[in-house]
Amino acid sequence: MRREENVAATQGIEFARLSLREALDLAIAIEEEARDRYREFAEQLTAHHTAEAARFFEHMARIEEIHRSQLAERREALFPGERPQPMRERIFDVEAPEYDAARAFMSVREALEAALSGEEKAYAFFVRAIPLLESTEVRKLFGELRDEEVEHQDLVRAEIARLAGEPGGRDEAYSDDPVAQ
Amino acid sequence: MSLEAPVVPAPPARPALQAKDYKSELKPIWCPGCGDYGVLQSLYRALAALGREPHEIAFISGIGCSSRIPGYTTAYGFNSVHGRALPIAQGVKLANPDLLVIVAGGDGDGFSIGGGHVAHAIRRNIDLTYLVMDNQVYGLTKGQLSPTSPRGLTTVTSPFGSLEEPINPLLYVLAYGAGFVAQATPADMPGMTSLIEEALRYPGFSFVNIQSPCVTFGEEDQQLRAHKARMKPLAGLGHDPGNQLRALDLARAYGTELYTGVFYRNPSPPPTYDALVRTRQSELARERRPRERVLDRFLKP
Repeated sequence: MRREENVAATQGIEFARLSLREALDLAIAIEEEARDRYREFAEQLTAHHTAEAARFFEHMARIEEIHRSQLAERREALFPGERPQPMRERIFDVEAPEYDAARAFMSVREALEAALSGEEKAYAFFVRAIPLLESTEVRKLFGELRDEEVEHQDLVRAEIARLAGEPGGRDEAYSDDPVAQ
Repeated sequence: MSLEAPVVPAPPARPALQAKDYKSELKPIWCPGCGDYGVLQSLYRALAALGREPHEIAFISGIGCSSRIPGYTTAYGFNSVHGRALPIAQGVKLANPDLLVIVAGGDGDGFSIGGGHVAHAIRRNIDLTYLVMDNQVYGLTKGQLSPTSPRGLTTVTSPFGSLEEPINPLLYVLAYGAGFVAQATPADMPGMTSLIEEALRYPGFSFVNIQSPCVTFGEEDQQLRAHKARMKPLAGLGHDPGNQLRALDLARAYGTELYTGVFYRNPSPPPTYDALVRTRQSELARERRPRERVLDRFLKP
């Protein structure tokens, strides 16, 4: 089910004809989108007095920026000075958690679960895209990126397991139902 | 001396606009998880696809959570008075017909406080796009009944459940003759982006009802997860958007079915009010008389 959602989350990308340069541009755009989403979440949660989860999302934003810059360096080494293809406008929430994953007063555990959903979506995206690719080198790149998503998932899952004993339910965070003021 | 025309270097090609070009420095203060974040992203992308510069666009809104949108864009904006976005937008469009005018607001702003203005904006067919973020509740004022709240809804102002039938925004605008009527949800970001772009391109009054969930006061079955499960794209049902009667029939299901896509697109859009005004002005300009003679037309020959 998730895989199909992810195919729908791109527009106008012909995977069969994707060149290595375009594939790198796409991968960079995916990391950039995730970075920006985590930054937005951090800002939202800071504004809504949810400091711990905000710090976690800031941390995630830094990680995504590291991934983005590593890919950008690799691209520059392979295709020095070549203008990037505009890929950002063609993707929708590939690795970025969806907007409704954030909530005021969410716990760090819930924030981790939001991040895990992003990593799972990205993994499903690469799994689905690989059979559509014709270029061997793009397949290799996407295979590499898919495997990295598995590593990221394992890291997030380990952290969730570490926090298993801590409270995390959204309902627990509310002392009362919202009321008119 | 050469008779050849001087070679004028071509102006540098304008780089394509990107979604980020429409994003202002102001940070949205909606509740985390609000559907309006997705709407704003779709809007940025639709504008980038359209390729209009921010200074060629004016956002007009009323009051409410979603009415904060003008501030979050780099376009001109007017966060106006409750329910009065449409009259102001019409004035803006008539004063400067070259502007792309977008009206944004919530269901309360559009169909309760400003409800009377919708019919007149439609019948005039002024070329503007009206985006209603319909969350079936007054969220900014902490969860009272709104005009689209379903019957039976329990809120702080209806502790025993609402006794009123909701307004059906789709049926309302179709009945008054809107030329472009669509419905979207942030649960389908690519679909919503395409619909907004299509509405912006429609020459005349266009309306998109966006089911944008309120995460704080909205019902569980109105959240994005529920939308994903129950939305039905009209394109997949084989609906012909040129069929107005069928559109009316489908619109009756508002509140029970979540149809997304274009309900109606007038295949032969009539002239817009702003175009007619321009024509009238140029006609009258031909008959222009000196000021001291303007009353002559009322004199008997």
